[in-house]
Amino acid sequence: MKLLLIEDDAQTAAYIVRGFEEHGHVVDHAKTGRDGLFLAGSESYDVLIVDRMLPGMDGLSIVRMLRSTEINTPVIFLTTMGGIEDRVIGLESGADDYLIKPFAFSELMARVQALARRPPLSKSQTVLRVGDLEVDLLKRKVRRGADVIDLQAREFALLEFLMQRAGQVVTRTMLLEGVWNFHFDPKTNIVETHMSRLRSKVDKGRGQALIHTIRGSGYSIHAASEPN
Amino acid sequence: MLLRNLTRTTSFRLVLLYVLVFSASVLALAALTYFVATSALDQQIRARIQAESDGLRDEYASGGVAHLMSAVEERRRGRLRDGLVYAIFDAHGHRLFGTLPNSSVVQGWSEVRGPPDGDEPEGETERLAVLGLKLPGNDWVLVADDIGRVNVLGQVVLRAFGVVVLLSVTIAIIGGFVLSLGFLRQVEAISNTAEAIIAGDLRRRIPLRSGGDELDRLAATLNRMLDRITNLMESLRQVSNDIAHDLRTPLGRLRQDLDEVRRMPRDSAEYERAIDQAVRESDEILQTFGALLRIAQIESGSRKSGFGIVNLSELVEQIADTYRPVADDEGRTLVTVTAQNVNVEGDRELLAQMIINLVENAISHTGTGTTIELLLERSGDTGVLTVSDNGPGVPDEELKNIFKRFYRLEPSRGTPGNGLGLSLVDAIAGLHGLSLEASENTPGLRVTLKFALVDSLEPASV
Repeated sequence: MKLLLIEDDAQTAAYIVRGFEEHGHVVDHAKTGRDGLFLAGSESYDVLIVDRMLPGMDGLSIVRMLRSTEINTPVIFLTTMGGIEDRVIGLESGADDYLIKPFAFSELMARVQALARRPPLSKSQTVLRVGDLEVDLLKRKVRRGADVIDLQAREFALLEFLMQRAGQVVTRTMLLEGVWNFHFDPKTNIVETHMSRLRSKVDKGRGQALIHTIRGSGYSIHAASEPN
Repeated sequence: MLLRNLTRTTSFRLVLLYVLVFSASVLALAALTYFVATSALDQQIRARIQAESDGLRDEYASGGVAHLMSAVEERRRGRLRDGLVYAIFDAHGHRLFGTLPNSSVVQGWSEVRGPPDGDEPEGETERLAVLGLKLPGNDWVLVADDIGRVNVLGQVVLRAFGVVVLLSVTIAIIGGFVLSLGFLRQVEAISNTAEAIIAGDLRRRIPLRSGGDELDRLAATLNRMLDRITNLMESLRQVSNDIAHDLRTPLGRLRQDLDEVRRMPRDSAEYERAIDQAVRESDEILQTFGALLRIAQIESGSRKSGFGIVNLSELVEQIADTYRPVADDEGRTLVTVTAQNVNVEGDRELLAQMIINLVENAISHTGTGTTIELLLERSGDTGVLTVSDNGPGVPDEELKNIFKRFYRLEPSRGTPGNGLGLSLVDAIAGLHGLSLEASENTPGLRVTLKFALVDSLEPASV
């Protein structure tokens, strides 16, 4: 991936740049909003990582300006402003995702990858397949090979979210936001509880496991042994 | 100083302006009355003189000077005279009758000063209006009357109006003073309160009077504003205290652990464990910090702008679906009874967090085999949400403390948690205006939330 990071704090920037470079990605770093806007407009990136509070031109203005000039590169905001309204305003400005500082690098990585690989909104696709697992979104039926699997509503939503991002790492927070619409972290690991129930229904005693735990990051559903 | 302040108040100035306008109109009325009254009297007097003069000319025509003389004499003596003064002169200017001076022997109207007759104003001589008439035989007859009465009437009129103006101005000024004094006292009270608050006494409030005028309403509003500010400052102070005291401990522990690892060389597995431990500890600190900020943010009330209508029935069902497996895994049973279509005005996410914290609290502070009940009921136009368990419960004397920040029952100190879960519940309930109550469930703990139901069709009030 080729990424643009607009971040004024040198330490945070170094942490992010190093992290992506370790995984073989290219990161351009702009220290100010103006430089960032210039780079975003002149080069082609997979994802823009934008700090919301920047000296001079803030993140909101950058994204608004990009969107008004038809530059639709996915944007993820990094911010210390964790209020609900802050998030709503951020997303309304045209950003695609919102991550509150401090964050684990694996969280940022998973979200950036999800944005970079976002499928071209295939809403028309009503049957999702991974290996011999098949999810019919219209009939709300799940089958593994010849077996019909009976899932609870929450488990179905969880599986649907994973299947739509097959091959990608999905973090616990992404699942909380996407499946439960919770933007806070309950004390109990509800994702783990439901995931283990889902797994016991989908994978248990079926030879090849499809749902994988990615240590320190989250989960991924794919047929091969490792996600790319 | 007080006098200067008094005269500078708005109410005093208004009264003064009113008095000025009133006085001006009274004066205009006085002038009009004066002119109308005096000119009417003047005309009346002159008309009488004219009529008398005409009458005497007729007397003269019928009998000459002698007849005229006797007619005048008769008038002077009889009741017909009625204050009129007569004089007759012959053709050579000799006075045949009366006391009027020679100077008044002219044709037509003239005015002379006469001897005082008692009704004239102080220091003025009697003024007479004289009508001279030259008779056919060159004799003169003069008829005069006291014209001074006109001035006397005018002065009476002016004096009466003067008294009116003087009285009303006096009353108005006194009234203005009294009004302004009350006004000023209240302004003074507001100002004193503000000064006291500036000086640091945040608990001071403006004393209210019984009148309930606009100043009192203003004072009441200011008091409410002060209450709100005090609350906000109080919660801010609370947060800084909490941060100072309760984040120092885990930070200190983190530092100790890191220090210990650093003291001697270790193998990579040990380092990895230590790093994981440090990351976990810092995550916990960040979580506590985040929870504190969230409580403060909620208590500041700024989230209210995002309120909408939340279907609590659906939310409770969703949470129950989510937590039933969690409870199962922990060896508890979660039982739910949910009334349908219970709507409440609020923030969905916060309400979810509130219910979740209550359920999690029930799961984490009870033993295996406990039954946890999550009930959503309707009671008239009130909704009731109850989270109860049949676990060990909370001692009566501790019930009132469980919503306090960092409060943890002694036995639970060893279990994970930061003691903020129920504080957050309290803050969210407070923001939504829900009544929150913890009680004995014999056995166990019961937390009851009561709230006003809203019609789902009705748009949320802004």
